[in-house]
Amino acid sequence: MEILFRIPFAILAVPNLKIRKPSWIVQPSAMVVFSLALFTYFLITAGIIYDVIVEPPGVGSTVDDRGVSRPVAFMPYRVNGQYILEGLASSFMFTVGGLGFIILYRTHGQIASGYKTHSSLGYYLMTSVGFICVLVAVLTTYIFMRIKLPGYYLHP
Amino acid sequence: MAVSTQAAGNKKSKDSNNHVSTKSGSSANGINSKYVGSLSLITFAVLAIAWITGFLSRLFSVIRFESIIHEFDPWFNYRATAYMVEHGFYDFLNWFDDRAWYPLGRIVGGTVYPGLMVTSGLIHYVLSLLNIPVHIRDICVFLAPVFSGLTSIATYFLTKEIWSPGAGLFAAGFIAIVPGYISRSVAGSYDNEGIAIFALQLTYFFWVKSVKTGSISWAVATALSYFYMVSAWGGYVFIINLIPLHVFVLLLMGRFSHRIYTAYTTFFILGLILSMQIPFVGFQPVRTSEHMASAGVFVLLNAVAFLKYLQRFMSKQEFRHFFFFASVTAAALVFVTVVGLTYAGFIAPWSGRFYSLWDTGYAKIHIPIIASVSEHQPTTWFSLFFDLHILVTTFPVGIWFCIRKINDERVFIVLYALFASYFAGVMVRLILTLTPCVCVLSAIAFSSLFELYLKDDDSPKTDQSSRNDNLYDEAGKVRKMPHEQNKDENSIGGNLRIIVLIAVLFILLLFAVHCTWVTSNAYSSPSVVLATYDQSGRQILDDFREAYFWLWQNTDENARIMSWWDYGYQIAGMGNRTTLVDNNTWNNSHIALVGKAMSSTEPKAYDIMTSLDVDYVLVIFGGLIGYSGDDINKFLWMVRIAEGEHPQDIREADYFTAKGEYRVDEEASSTMLNCLMYKLSYYRFGDVRIGGYTGFDRTRNSVIGNKNIELTYLEEAYTSEHWLVRIYRVKKPHEFNRPRIPRSARQIKTKATLTKKTSKKRKGTLRNRPVVVKGTRSGSA
Repeated sequence: MEILFRIPFAILAVPNLKIRKPSWIVQPSAMVVFSLALFTYFLITAGIIYDVIVEPPGVGSTVDDRGVSRPVAFMPYRVNGQYILEGLASSFMFTVGGLGFIILYRTHGQIASGYKTHSSLGYYLMTSVGFICVLVAVLTTYIFMRIKLPGYYLHP
Repeated sequence: MAVSTQAAGNKKSKDSNNHVSTKSGSSANGINSKYVGSLSLITFAVLAIAWITGFLSRLFSVIRFESIIHEFDPWFNYRATAYMVEHGFYDFLNWFDDRAWYPLGRIVGGTVYPGLMVTSGLIHYVLSLLNIPVHIRDICVFLAPVFSGLTSIATYFLTKEIWSPGAGLFAAGFIAIVPGYISRSVAGSYDNEGIAIFALQLTYFFWVKSVKTGSISWAVATALSYFYMVSAWGGYVFIINLIPLHVFVLLLMGRFSHRIYTAYTTFFILGLILSMQIPFVGFQPVRTSEHMASAGVFVLLNAVAFLKYLQRFMSKQEFRHFFFFASVTAAALVFVTVVGLTYAGFIAPWSGRFYSLWDTGYAKIHIPIIASVSEHQPTTWFSLFFDLHILVTTFPVGIWFCIRKINDERVFIVLYALFASYFAGVMVRLILTLTPCVCVLSAIAFSSLFELYLKDDDSPKTDQSSRNDNLYDEAGKVRKMPHEQNKDENSIGGNLRIIVLIAVLFILLLFAVHCTWVTSNAYSSPSVVLATYDQSGRQILDDFREAYFWLWQNTDENARIMSWWDYGYQIAGMGNRTTLVDNNTWNNSHIALVGKAMSSTEPKAYDIMTSLDVDYVLVIFGGLIGYSGDDINKFLWMVRIAEGEHPQDIREADYFTAKGEYRVDEEASSTMLNCLMYKLSYYRFGDVRIGGYTGFDRTRNSVIGNKNIELTYLEEAYTSEHWLVRIYRVKKPHEFNRPRIPRSARQIKTKATLTKKTSKKRKGTLRNRPVVVKGTRSGSA
């Protein structure tokens, strides 16, 4: 066995070098992975793939009664169509809602584990920030939905 | 002073918390053994309610309309199931359907995933053994709702393995009513997905279980469940790529263990052999690129296991380098082998459908037939929100929980989440595969939140009461003490917490309302029967069945019907007539030929139609009632598909106006105005007066450009009540009016008549007999 290994070195001289793993290749930490995932998710829920394939305009426009052209942010009545901006806006709202849930959990989770970083005020503040994030996200997406589908929640 | 009491209180609370945790830890087992009955009762009750709710909310279509098979593909599945029940399983496998894809025919047994038919056939068989007579149609209609209950139970078990039983119950509740899944499993939607999602969840549950335990029996269960999935749906490719990916990522993370080795090798070998038993799949698992990832990971896993074995005989220092290089070499070797085999032709490269998932522009350019299906369009934000509602925001929260406390099985769910969300972004219909994962992760998020916000309320109290019980035995005082202590200790967020809880409950309520609304309004239409709503109430448009019934009753039994492929299954299922193309779009050139016939002028189309033996042409026209899914709106796809095969005859640009718009009014190009599809759709439509206009198309909001359409080679055979379906008969060559030929261009064979005269079998002929050209009216050209 040893002889087999030596055969190539009868011809080749072993170069004197040392290959080291580059220092920037490290296993990414959990939160880095999560941030990447969240960012990708943000783009996907924004319908970025739709934007790439269909290439819709950023914002639409209509002409109103007086003949003035007005921008329209949402493409109404079309379930499978969108403008770039409306996708980004609603996706942003989804992400805000998600972050609100995480803040709610984190603030409270730390109190529960007895590891108190915030003061009483800070606790209130953080909880209300998370709470408001969630509520704003839910209400805004509800409004978006009403713009997109005016008959929403109405019986046909 | 205040600070010190605060600190003291804080310390105390920490102390008591520790106390609680140990106590609850010890008492948890006690509770579990003590209340195991009520816990399992709650679990059972919640799952039963989830099943019943899921089943009932899928019945909107049956209640609104009737017990009918929906849409397009289910009609084929129903027809195949009925055939199987009638003729037996082996005849079904050998079934050559000569009534589809005329003149080619279709080998049904070899081109179908039989799981669906076998499942409902089995249910029918068992019921008939029990002397319960149920028509096979009713089993087909109610199969998907029943399986949704099984799906929620499988989801419960999966989530239980990944997180906790509480989260499992949440997940079961979510998947029972989430619109993303309901869209494919309402009553009557008798399609592969209805049972495949159950198989998917079950396979994942068994896989997670086998990774956790490392037992062969769970791995075998995974393989069996995978077999069921392969027999049910083409989406099994997702499983056979996701599980190897999970193993691969675990290897990368340095989480190799013998549990994984046992689980994966068992699953891979058995799954491979079992999946090859399905005739439609056949040798694909060893011959196509879609399956090569699993084989590659199998080899890699064995290599790693072997290296781990060698580790015993080496020093640590030696091994570190050796291990790294050896595993990289093994990976490279596997990769090169797969690429080499693909290049040499032993392995088929990625199929177009699969490839279009990665290169999103691919289908649009190369395979118009895939891009033409509306459910293959890329997803907008609205579809995601419409199908998942609040879960779309809590989904990343679940990922956050899983990543924070990562372990082997949570790696799996995170990978599932990442890939499924990407695929859902590429195609609308793949929201279906994302939905179970969203339910699991959102359930984890909600469950953790509730656990935290609810438990904190109770735990100090129970702790205090228990401690008080230990210290003093006076019941009177105990009541007050915890209240007072609670106030300065842990009531910081007391009110806030309740508000948050109520808000979250309110959000869940909104979710339930949304799900019901979407189910009832968007996903419960059979699309065979249409309903419109106006002041006088609901009106049913039953034109499709009317027309198919006419076909069935009034045409020859072997008549061949040409229509666009969307309606192939319905014509076969309801009209019982031979079709040229149908929804099993396996032959692109055949479809392109039909597309070419539809988009050429009448004489050219007639040549194609006679060469294909077409007897009737069926078009869907929505202009009279404003139905948007008609053939004129689909027409551009016919042109594109035809152009793909016959680029010299059909050009898409010819069908647009000069500005590049697609219109049907006077500005439309002459090619558009004279093509067969236009003529058939708008024949006699110019005489119809709607709202002061004649020939006003309500779908496209314009007056049509060609109002007096004459047909030479076809004649109108039937038009349904609302003009939704129009059927034309193709005239035989002797029937149609011969076009008038100017006298100068006529070829009069005088010589032939002369020679005839001299021949023996002669008949008397009149010289200078007036030639009668039949039928052309003087008014029209």
